[in-house]
Amino acid sequence: MKKFRLIALALLAVAALALPAAAAELRIAQVADISSLDPHKVSDIYSANVIRQIYSNLVQVDEHMEIVPDLAESWENPDNLTWIFHLRKGVTFHNGDPLTAAAVKFSLERIKDPATASPGATHLREVASVEAIDEHTLKIVTKRPFAPMLMSLTRYETSIVSERAVKEAGADYGSKAAVGTGPFKFMSWSRGDKVTLEKFDGYFRGPASLDTVVYRGIPEDATRLVELESGGVELIPGNFPYQDFVTIEESGKFLTYQTPAMSTLYMGLNTEIKPFDNKLVRRAMNYAVDKQAIVDAIYFGFGAPARGPLSPVIWGFDPKREPAYPYNPEKARELLKEAGFPDGFDMTIFSDNRTERRSAAELIQAYLSEVDIRAQVELMEWSALLSTSAKGIGGAFMLGWTGTGDADGGMTPVYHTANIGSSNRFRYSIPALDALLEKGAATLDQTERRKIYAEAQQLAVDECPLVFMISQELLGASSKKVQGFKLYPNMISPLYGVTVAK
Amino acid sequence: MLRYFFKRLMFLIPVLFGVSILIFSIVHLAPGDPAEVMLGPAATQEDIANLREQLGLTKPLYVQYGIFLGNALKGDLGRSIKSNAPVMEEIMERFPATLTLALLGMTFAIVIGLPLGIIAALKQNTWVDALCSFLALVGFSIPNFWIALMLMLLLSIYIPILPSSGFDSWKNLIMPTIVLGIQTMAVIARMTRSSMLEVIRQDYVRTAKAKGISDRLVLTRHILSNVMIPVVTIAGLYFGHQLGGVVITETVFSIPGLGRLIVDAIRAQDYPVVQGGVLFFALCVGIVNLLVDLLYAVLDPRIKAQYRAAK
Repeated sequence: MKKFRLIALALLAVAALALPAAAAELRIAQVADISSLDPHKVSDIYSANVIRQIYSNLVQVDEHMEIVPDLAESWENPDNLTWIFHLRKGVTFHNGDPLTAAAVKFSLERIKDPATASPGATHLREVASVEAIDEHTLKIVTKRPFAPMLMSLTRYETSIVSERAVKEAGADYGSKAAVGTGPFKFMSWSRGDKVTLEKFDGYFRGPASLDTVVYRGIPEDATRLVELESGGVELIPGNFPYQDFVTIEESGKFLTYQTPAMSTLYMGLNTEIKPFDNKLVRRAMNYAVDKQAIVDAIYFGFGAPARGPLSPVIWGFDPKREPAYPYNPEKARELLKEAGFPDGFDMTIFSDNRTERRSAAELIQAYLSEVDIRAQVELMEWSALLSTSAKGIGGAFMLGWTGTGDADGGMTPVYHTANIGSSNRFRYSIPALDALLEKGAATLDQTERRKIYAEAQQLAVDECPLVFMISQELLGASSKKVQGFKLYPNMISPLYGVTVAK
Repeated sequence: MLRYFFKRLMFLIPVLFGVSILIFSIVHLAPGDPAEVMLGPAATQEDIANLREQLGLTKPLYVQYGIFLGNALKGDLGRSIKSNAPVMEEIMERFPATLTLALLGMTFAIVIGLPLGIIAALKQNTWVDALCSFLALVGFSIPNFWIALMLMLLLSIYIPILPSSGFDSWKNLIMPTIVLGIQTMAVIARMTRSSMLEVIRQDYVRTAKAKGISDRLVLTRHILSNVMIPVVTIAGLYFGHQLGGVVITETVFSIPGLGRLIVDAIRAQDYPVVQGGVLFFALCVGIVNLLVDLLYAVLDPRIKAQYRAAK
């Protein structure tokens, strides 16, 4: 018997030696599968998350949304139109090609090329030319002084791709091949199901500690949760169902993550139609709605009443700001009387069919009725809501704004007169605000810029062509085995530096 | 028989043609367009116009339909707007999962539903009958997403023996099969029971019994072969129904099938994928109906005789 045990032990020891150490694998549940891994062709957050692991950018943002070096070690502005980037040396793509200024030029020009029809082209609209000065120096010239340039270059849409890989794969780039310089390389994609990445040993900051990463698309909230609880996935990065967060947190069995989101929810008003052309009416509507109550009802308390047009995590947000228009129905009634609507009026709120937006619209409807404004809620297809509201919708509309991470991207598209007909859906022109936004974009001095945007935020709140609603929050959770994960406000969280205990 | 088969196959052509016109118009006349969905709320009018141009959406509708039809006849359903992959490739990649599920669901429905119906009929008005009927009623009335969640809770969390989502091994298929098949199972059980009860009372059954044929032989030769016709009809109809129901099952268990592909494509207004996917579904349902009709001939000599006469 003893002898048998000894043999068994010896066999076990041999087996243990023969087996390689278990690979560190991280399985992640997103709401949907990716649509493509070509950063210049996609516009969905789930693809963006995977793209972030495969590619690098010239510059990046950290978890506080501050700009940090990535492929560019340093940069300077010889004049206010020119950006010189000094690239890191010795960086290679996953296919072995070296990263050069010419490779960066190829990527940026591919985004700008109308034939690419890149959803990210808008981020480079101010770029006049891109030039490789030498192997590791790149020059970008803008059409006008454009301070948000760096933020634009941090976007996943402006990721640097391998020219050779793009040309070799042709139309299949993004589905069968995806080659960047990031910490993970693309292994396989089982469409509609999952995409698998493997660590890239030649990553310029040193190899990642995870061996493989699997991103799965699990559309049902409940299923995602069951997968986390049963150990089928280790991480849910954002998109965690609000109603279940507290339960998961209190169970003590998981790590939870929470951060303010870049996005804000608002109710826009088409100021071309009556009575939304009247500033007093607009202010009255702002006072009439109890935003905190809506945060509690829809987001289970995760979020806060908006403190103006920008979320607190957007660069340029003025931290001195208080919630815009705190709930005050008496004041709302007074303002309505002053505006000549003592008996209120009829209006329509348009929303798409997403539960949160629709519920918010219905709650707003209830609050407005308290001050005798009789609102109707009407549902529309998402893309129809986008196009109709751009052309001038017959009332108010529920919309969210995420922007680029910079105050310019957070305000210029929405408020500047030049964007009436597209993203300025209030169809409202505030010349003083236009001037501030232009000055903000043109001022390269960051301290000076902050002051300009602080003024712009106050002006937007005073004019209020919208009802300021809610700054949203992002929630996530992971198994306790996962260490070092940070949930980013832009919902695109890097996995370099994350470890999984075996 | 073969001629009949080909004649029926030819009938599919106008059906598919009709479906193609219908789905093309619905998709293109619905408000919104893919360029707007892709570019999101920040898009400028120029960006949208440029993307539309690139996607070929600026041409008149009848030209777009002509191009679509011409390519479809060559087996080319275009490329997905969202992923830029060929639609045919996406469908073929997703179809095996859906077909597997639908076949397994149907097998489950028949394997469980048929005996349940037979037993209930044979033990009519006893507690066994009541139990079988109760099970069938429950199976039919409970929404399948609820069953899915309860199964998941039970078999993935409380007794963790099955994975709750994905499509990696046979274990992934057990819960979706039950969820997908349970409603059809209930319908088949009830259908079997009622047509059994009808057949049992027929004169030829009494005659067979009077001749002293064993109960088992009476059941298999005289009763079941007559019960099968309505059951096969129902099963055939419900196969199409299941292909539709697969959408919910695929979503809840996140199985990469055709149903989810089409639903996601509808959300993104990915015209080529919606058109191709629906056309493909129509083809599947058409083929299943055809197979059911052929199965009649196998089951019922009278129908076979009709085919011969039609020659």
